[in-house]
Amino acid sequence: MNALVKTICTFVTSSIGRKIIVALTGLCLVLFLAGHLAGNLLIFGGPEWINTYAHGLHSMPEAALWGIRAGLAVIFIIHVWLTIQLKLENHAAREPYVFKNTIKATLSSRYMIYTGLTVLVFLIYHLYQYTLRVGYDPAQFTTFISDGTVETFDVYKMIVTGFSNVWCSAFYILAVLMLFSHLRHGVQSIFQTVGVDSRKIRPFYNFIAIAYGAIICLGFISVPVSVLLGIIK
Amino acid sequence: MAKTLNLTLKVWRQENREAKGRIETYAAKDIPVDASFLEMLDIVNEGLVKEGKEPIHFDHDCREGICGMCSLTINGIPHGPERQVTTCQLHMRKFKDGDTVWIEPFRAKAFPILRDLMVDRSALDRIIAAGGYIDVRTGSAPNANNIAVEKVKADAAFDAAACIGCGACVASCKNASAMLFTSAKIAHLNLLPQGQPERSKRVLAMMKQMEAEGFGNCTNQYECEAACPKGISVDNIARLNRDFMRANAKEGLCF
Amino acid sequence: MINFPVSDWMPDAKIPSGPIQDKWSKYKLESKLINPNNKRKYTVLVVGSGLAGASAAATLAELGYNVKCFCYQDSPRRAHSIAAQGGINAAKNYQNDGDSVYRLFYDTVKGGDFRAREANVYRLAEVSSNIIDQCVAQGVPFGREYGGLLDNRSFGGAQLKRTFYARGQTGQQLLLGAYQALEKEVAKGHIEMFSRHEMMDLVLVDGEAKGIVTRNLVTGEIKSYAGDTVLLCTGGYGNVFFLSTNAMGCNVTAAYKAYKRGAFFANPCFTQIHPTCIPVKGDYQSKLTLMSESLRNSGRIWVPKSRETAEKIRKKEIKPSDVPEEERDYYLERKYPSFGNLAPRDISSRAAKEACDDGRGVAVTGKGVFLDFADEIKRMGREWIDGQYGNLFDMYEEITDDDPHETPMMIYPASHYTMGGLWVDYNLMSNVKGLHVLGEANFSDHGANRLGASALMQGLSDGYFVIPATLPAYLTTTKPGAVTTAAPEFKAAEDEVKERINKLLNVKGTKTVDSFHRELGLIMWEDCGMARTEESLTHAIERIPQLRKEFWENVRVTGTADGINAELEKACRVADFLEFAQLLCYDALNRQESCGAHFRVEYQLPDGEAKRNDDEYAYVAAWEYTGVDSLPVLHKEPLTFENVHLAIRSYK
Ligand SMILES: Cc1cc2nc3c(=O)[nH]c(=O)nc-3n(C[C@H](O)[C@H](O)[C@H](O)COP(=O)(O)OP(=O)(O)OC[C@H]3O[C@@H](n4cnc5c(N)ncnc54)[C@H](O)[C@@H]3O)c2cc1C
Ligand code: HEM
Ligand code: HEM
Ligand code: SF4
Ligand code: F3S
Ligand code: FES
Repeated sequence: MNALVKTICTFVTSSIGRKIIVALTGLCLVLFLAGHLAGNLLIFGGPEWINTYAHGLHSMPEAALWGIRAGLAVIFIIHVWLTIQLKLENHAAREPYVFKNTIKATLSSRYMIYTGLTVLVFLIYHLYQYTLRVGYDPAQFTTFISDGTVETFDVYKMIVTGFSNVWCSAFYILAVLMLFSHLRHGVQSIFQTVGVDSRKIRPFYNFIAIAYGAIICLGFISVPVSVLLGIIK
Repeated sequence: MAKTLNLTLKVWRQENREAKGRIETYAAKDIPVDASFLEMLDIVNEGLVKEGKEPIHFDHDCREGICGMCSLTINGIPHGPERQVTTCQLHMRKFKDGDTVWIEPFRAKAFPILRDLMVDRSALDRIIAAGGYIDVRTGSAPNANNIAVEKVKADAAFDAAACIGCGACVASCKNASAMLFTSAKIAHLNLLPQGQPERSKRVLAMMKQMEAEGFGNCTNQYECEAACPKGISVDNIARLNRDFMRANAKEGLCF
Repeated sequence: MINFPVSDWMPDAKIPSGPIQDKWSKYKLESKLINPNNKRKYTVLVVGSGLAGASAAATLAELGYNVKCFCYQDSPRRAHSIAAQGGINAAKNYQNDGDSVYRLFYDTVKGGDFRAREANVYRLAEVSSNIIDQCVAQGVPFGREYGGLLDNRSFGGAQLKRTFYARGQTGQQLLLGAYQALEKEVAKGHIEMFSRHEMMDLVLVDGEAKGIVTRNLVTGEIKSYAGDTVLLCTGGYGNVFFLSTNAMGCNVTAAYKAYKRGAFFANPCFTQIHPTCIPVKGDYQSKLTLMSESLRNSGRIWVPKSRETAEKIRKKEIKPSDVPEEERDYYLERKYPSFGNLAPRDISSRAAKEACDDGRGVAVTGKGVFLDFADEIKRMGREWIDGQYGNLFDMYEEITDDDPHETPMMIYPASHYTMGGLWVDYNLMSNVKGLHVLGEANFSDHGANRLGASALMQGLSDGYFVIPATLPAYLTTTKPGAVTTAAPEFKAAEDEVKERINKLLNVKGTKTVDSFHRELGLIMWEDCGMARTEESLTHAIERIPQLRKEFWENVRVTGTADGINAELEKACRVADFLEFAQLLCYDALNRQESCGAHFRVEYQLPDGEAKRNDDEYAYVAAWEYTGVDSLPVLHKEPLTFENVHLAIRSYK
């Protein structure tokens, strides 16, 4: 047991160990995003669909809901904490060049921390807006689903209202573009970090990363864009 | 007469470890295109010495791309713009007349500058000392052909063993990580049957040393692979990550 | 001709008695042992971290000795052994083609043109097999066959496949094995490693080698280290020719300083010129690059038959491929039908020089011959060629901008290896007690010419297997730790070093160190290179002291003594080359015969082959220092050949 605890301690403080944790937490976030996008796209099915979905989520037992949220938050915090820590170390290890140049490292790989931090800022705002629903008085955002039998919060209206603000939409779009960059490097990077990468298969992972990033990015952008264009109202 | 070039050099000069460095400008005149980059510096230095000035100091020895002693970051790229060659093998025909060439040392916190373009890369030796070997006492070896090695593995081990320990990977990595170097040595030894007994110990000890030396962490940017004069592949880093997990599992769970 | 003072006295080579195949086992059986607990009381100073130095340091540390190891590079892994491309010989007979210890011994003695010591060569051949075992166990990735077992190639004129190789990086991989073993002992605290330290002098106390004076190349500090014995593993002196295949820092300083302190320098004129190097391009050139000899397995060497055609090629009026077959002279195939393009190094080199001297050379300077792969590409296909030589072709193209697939390579001989070195006995100890010399720095095993793939073998044999067994012979005669740097000899030696450095810095002349080195190299190459005559040697012997005088009056060494100063490092080395070169020429002048790589134009057979004079020169010429400006004293160690009979070396 002692050996195990010791190993775990050294693992989670080691360079590779922390990288692996970043990759695994990143993977969880990647999966969450896929689910979240699927949920969001229900908006194109009309108010009924998305509100039913949101209601369904909220009718989970409190404990489960908060359990999932807490899990997500922990994963997120670990991801952010470790990446910031690694970044600080990396920064300290480098002596800057007067003449800077790069052969191969992609922009997205070099700006991970900045794209990540943008997403972080976005998320704080996002939670403030849509999860805490600050500024959306429940009294004005009530609707009925299941053929008018169930009363619930009108997520559809909230989103339409929110994205009707051009600045709000612009920020979302910007953040999601940053997220694309983050995923473009992040997703293929997971494979390398956990050691299932090789020269031969790398192009395939790159394809997955770009395809996944593009789907997520276009998917999320489609919502504010549709609102602004009046496709969803 | 062979063609010649005139270049402007922007060179990092620094008297010693503690001194503050700066970029200085030199004119390199009538450089034969067939000269190597270091021979170009020789010519410039010969001129400086004749004027009684201190020549530009740089590390070099074999001048044929194998000892790993030459360094130099040329226009921001360790070992210069050509792929898979060391600075000593880089030839001036790759430059154009009138070019401005920036020459800086291999920079990293773990590579303190000793003078001008010379840096201290002994951290790499210490990583090897931590476990980059197979502990076999002289005289205790079995007959060489008692150990058969699968050709694919032997080849992969060789690809990794080709590392010349120059440190360009560190110099090029935005995080100044020594993962490519460390992973290459680990891959070389861990792929071979002879290397199995110390496999876990080696991975853990060498990684620990790499961290202690103040190198950065790898974030999979693959710049190192592109800068490496020997084309060492980042596949070795993936291998190392895998081996690291394996070693921890072994260690922690006493498999 | 100069009449050199000759001494009758010659130190005992301590060769064990008995039949040759029993000498080494008998020696080991009878040798004294040191109790493991006592071993750590002995401090061994190992200067050099090449194959010889690193393997010795690692092995001695494993045995329990306290080792201090020095090298001038920034890491022991960068010693020039790293540059060896071709391979390492061993009498394993894994190919079942009839190899044996005896045959390797025989080939080496014959290859050395009967100027090596039989007993040493036999031991080398005997130990060769253990080296491969040791290296494989360390993880050296030798070439393998699909069955997973080791592969061999034939190399450097051998008619057997006995060469083990690691792609084109055999030296690197072997050195990494030894270096890793060394670092392992560094980590254990058994070896203290001093990189970027240059040995500046040897210190004798009561006539025995007990320490060295070093210059810390980073801080400039002059410091002494004391030990119970000193091992010089400092490599060869090929850079006396300025342009050579050696690394820029290779030097004679350590060996020469030992010579000045009384150690005999043996056969300095045995210098090997390698036939396949990339020709010189211009006077800015700093070194020559070797193209692996293995290329000769597939390339055909030729020059045009007529001078006019050669002239046109030099002026680039016609391309090599424009020369029709009947106008080409495949001179090696013509002169040596059975060995052809694979004739030994000295023979191939000389033949190239002859062709070029005849005005039929092809590089811009007229000093180059073709190595043509066209036929082999036609026969085996481009892919096969690339599989075999891809890296070498790339390297050639990188340097010359010519693609060897399209146009033949151009090659020319260059100084490569030095068979001469400090004289040692069977224990690898020089006549100065306590001073052991290993690897290329000693003279012992290659006679007048080294066979390809034998130097790596010798370095590792000396370090891994010989010195660990022979060192106790000396150590048991000394009290461990008896001498410390407090002995006045250390201070005196340090002062001498400092004074010399001061002197160099204060000449403040007008010419650079490199220009002197270049000039010396030119003299040596022209007058004491591939073909030597009494006249050329006499000329060199006149010129060298003049150049040396000019050096001390007009050299410009910038900077100061404290801190990194590359000009000063070079100046110290060149100052020694300027003295040593003279000794080399003396030796060449004294040896009035041709043998192996030493070719005296006056002594040749009617067909131009080397003409040995066994009656008068079957000896090792061991020179004793008497002063910079006085003639050295010649000591002769007679060579007897009981097992390989003296014969004319013929490769026809
Ligand atoms: C290009 C090339 C290719 C070759 N190919 C082959 C081949 O295929 N097969 C083969 O068998 N042989 C080959 N050789 C020959 C062989 O490589 C060398 O003879 C052999 O490696 C010498 O080993 P060494 O240990 O004696 O010396 P080196 O490896 O030269 O080591 C010398 C050591 O001494 C140190 N040193 C020197 N002077 C000082 C000083 N003053 N103070 C402190 N330290 C000092 C250096 O730092 C270095 O560590 C080749 C040689 C060359 C140049
Ligand atoms: C939904 C949100 C996020 C997702 C899906 C996500 C996903 C990922 C993934 C998959 C990786 C690759 C891990 C690896 O290297 O193998 C990664 C790395 C990284 N993430 Fe995030 N991340 C998110 C949010 C953030 C945030 C908010 C930050 C802010 C600090 C951040 C900073 C980083 C950094 C700096 C890396 C680089 C680490 C590395 O490559 O080693 N991420 N992320
Ligand atoms: C246009 C795009 C998006 C829309 C319309 C959207 C919409 C929403 C809505 C409506 C909620 C509240 C769900 C509820 O509590 O009922 C929510 C929660 C959340 N969203 Fe988004 N979102 C978008 C993009 C993103 C992105 C890009 C991220 C991640 C980087 C993200 C992360 C989250 C998180 C973490 C929650 C909290 C989940 C919880 O409450 O458990 N969202 N989003
Ligand atoms: S991995 Fe490549 S760049 Fe790094 S030290 Fe080795 S050879 Fe140099
Ligand atoms: S460039 Fe640096 S980030 Fe990793 S893949 Fe190479 S060590
Ligand atoms: S000087 Fe040896 S690799 Fe460049």
